[in-house]
Amino acid sequence: MESMICSGIVLLFIALSAFSYLRRTARRNATAPAAGKKDFLPVYISIADKPDSIIRGMDRFVAQVNKTETAGNKWRSVPMIIFLAGLGLMIVDGGLFLLGYRSFVFIAGGVALWVAAIVMAVGLRRSDSKDFSPRYKGTKDILHTLRDDLRPNSTFTGHLDLTGSMLKTKIARETKDTRDRTTQYFRDEWLALKAKLYDGNVLRVSAIQRTKQRQPYWKRSRISGKMKQKPAKFKGSEQQLKVRIAVNPEVYKIIPNKTFRQGIEVGKYRVAQLNTEGGIIDVLASSPFEEIESEHILGFLQSVYSLLQREAL
Amino acid sequence: MSRKVIPFVVAGVLICLIMAVSGVFAFSGSVTAEKFGSEIAWSRPFTSAESMKVIDLTGDGNDDLFIQSPDNLTVLNETGEPIFGFGYKNMKTTLGDVNGDNIEDIIVFHVGTGPSVDVISKGQPRELANALSIGFPSRVAVIRFSSGPQIVLGDSSGNLLALGTDGQPRWDIKLGNEEIRGMDDVKVDGQTLLATASYDGSIAVIDGNGKALWRGGQEEIRRMRAFDLNGNGTSEIITGGEYGAFKIYNAADGSLLFETSLGQAVSEVRTVELDGDPSSREIVVGGKDGGVWAFKFDGTSASQIWNGSLSDKVTEIAGIDIDDDGKEEAVIGDESGKVAIFTGNGSRTNLPTRSDAIARIDVGKLGSERYVVVADLSEIQVNKVNFNSLPGFQYTPLIVGLIVSAVVLIIAAILASIPKKPEMKVSFQDTSRESLDAQRRMLKESIADVERLRKAGEVTGDAYLARLKRLRADLADNEAAFKKQGYNVKVETIQCPNCGGTLELGMDKCEYCGQVLLH
Repeated sequence: MESMICSGIVLLFIALSAFSYLRRTARRNATAPAAGKKDFLPVYISIADKPDSIIRGMDRFVAQVNKTETAGNKWRSVPMIIFLAGLGLMIVDGGLFLLGYRSFVFIAGGVALWVAAIVMAVGLRRSDSKDFSPRYKGTKDILHTLRDDLRPNSTFTGHLDLTGSMLKTKIARETKDTRDRTTQYFRDEWLALKAKLYDGNVLRVSAIQRTKQRQPYWKRSRISGKMKQKPAKFKGSEQQLKVRIAVNPEVYKIIPNKTFRQGIEVGKYRVAQLNTEGGIIDVLASSPFEEIESEHILGFLQSVYSLLQREAL
Repeated sequence: MSRKVIPFVVAGVLICLIMAVSGVFAFSGSVTAEKFGSEIAWSRPFTSAESMKVIDLTGDGNDDLFIQSPDNLTVLNETGEPIFGFGYKNMKTTLGDVNGDNIEDIIVFHVGTGPSVDVISKGQPRELANALSIGFPSRVAVIRFSSGPQIVLGDSSGNLLALGTDGQPRWDIKLGNEEIRGMDDVKVDGQTLLATASYDGSIAVIDGNGKALWRGGQEEIRRMRAFDLNGNGTSEIITGGEYGAFKIYNAADGSLLFETSLGQAVSEVRTVELDGDPSSREIVVGGKDGGVWAFKFDGTSASQIWNGSLSDKVTEIAGIDIDDDGKEEAVIGDESGKVAIFTGNGSRTNLPTRSDAIARIDVGKLGSERYVVVADLSEIQVNKVNFNSLPGFQYTPLIVGLIVSAVVLIIAAILASIPKKPEMKVSFQDTSRESLDAQRRMLKESIADVERLRKAGEVTGDAYLARLKRLRADLADNEAAFKKQGYNVKVETIQCPNCGGTLELGMDKCEYCGQVLLH
């Protein structure tokens, strides 16, 4: 009897777990993307094309991802229906049992349907995609805004790396403190763009996210004396924007001014370094904000252009 | 293979498996929906039943119910009304035709004027013998030796005394030093002999003159029964021991045909026609801790068919063909009052539980109906046992298999309809020479930038190599695009033959895996 009760509890636990899994699968549609969600679709785009082609390609890629997801979404409730059908089959055996007959045929069929429902749910979940990062649309906006400034028949080159800012491959360096705790510094150059502009200037833009995180470590508790693991601790993040403009001397001359100088704040950025020597403008700006919208990057580029004055023709 | 085809191939294999398993279950007949039930026809109080039999004891052609406790014996008619009854002290009884009128008599071995024997014929008691030289009553049997019927008495000290039908002692013998636990008639080469066993483990087969054909011994014996299991004219003697020994002897010479240990004291042994083959009978054994085993005897040895269990000491086993399929079911009672029906394949169905320990179970025709009579320690209950089965239920595995197969097919169709998830590494590349040149320059600048960052200590270790690897791979893609468009390009990358990583032409060691490059 004890073994039957134990088996029953285990089966009930398995059934509830399966039900919960299938219910989560069925409800995926209902959950709107949470604002500020960190877990985005890990996509890497290599850019070497004309702006319109890039924008069309980016839209096509979004449509492909959405098509896969929509195709899966249509059937999301089916695993739960199959699960309930399995339960229905099992109830047939329950009814027979109440009538005094002992049968396990329908229970076996029900279990088979449950397994099939879980297999289908796993298959549907594989078609799930995470949401696109806001940087994806932001980059598209930047490309769209700059498309008319591009020299005719030239292309944007560079990349958009949205695979994640805290990957192992993006650890720039590691340091250890006096308590032998490791802190990792991540450098994620998520956007790099180079373009030859209509006015003959060459523009290079890099958006970099720098993140700092202390790794998990073991510590002996002062009270109990037991070793306990402390989790990883996020120590902060900042955005950097590097702009380099090789100025066409036939069109512009560089005139330093008070509206754009080192230390000044432009949108979410503060100018950290400014160098205008040798006919090249090198600007490094930083921002404590974790996310920078495209209009701030475009606004910053516009501000950099305030250093240029057209040569008299 | 197309990803639209693979789900259907997997589904096809699964469906074949499902239907094969369903078919095996459906056509093997192992899936049934059967139930046994019982309705009480009548019941009446009776205390401490020790022996019970449905048999005609009045000669009217209708079976009566004989029941006996240590101090009382009663014969009831088909409706439970007493026909006659008598009281005796410490009695043991058996049934047999002693006076030759072809109607069974009740032979009572009791303590009266000393150890005495009475014969009750058609309700009329008659003292056959008294002051016999034998001890406290333990067993009594009527054995039809070739020389004529004899009443054999066994006492609690292992002594046997045989009487003629006239009450005169014929022979006596001491079998052992403990209580006689079993007396049964056996056939040896067509001759009827007496098989007997005492608790101390002594066994013997004795002829009509009191001469032992053979004697043997084993561990303490709780039960001894004799049957001609395979119908060859020579009986087999089955014993169940105090410590679980289950043995089958050849009645002709006492040779051991089969033995096994059941792990608990054997409390009851009966034959039941479980498989419906009339040329052999199966043996059902009950244990003191509730174990139930069924054995099949093939003439030379026995093999276990199935085993099961009840919750307490098995007190009685009876074979009854409840569902009229020519196979008997084993109806088994235990000391906690449970009565269960075990079918030929060992599946169990419980009948209503009784409030006292089950003492005896028998089956027979009372009036126009066949009944199962169950006696516990306080009551006799006459039950009409019924059997129900759902027709065609054996094919339900096929229906369930079809349902599951249909679902599997639907799932395959749905999964096949979902398009492939796009690659997460996308490249938008203009194939004009100018564009490819620009990309090449940008990649070289980026590589130089990474090198500069490494020298400045801003990027180290894995991050440096990972970034470099990606940029070099992009450079290799760029070179491939050049070649594809038919443009001239100076190849500047090679692939590591070990890890596949892209390296700059001229490197003699892979930066990623350490492979030495010979080129």
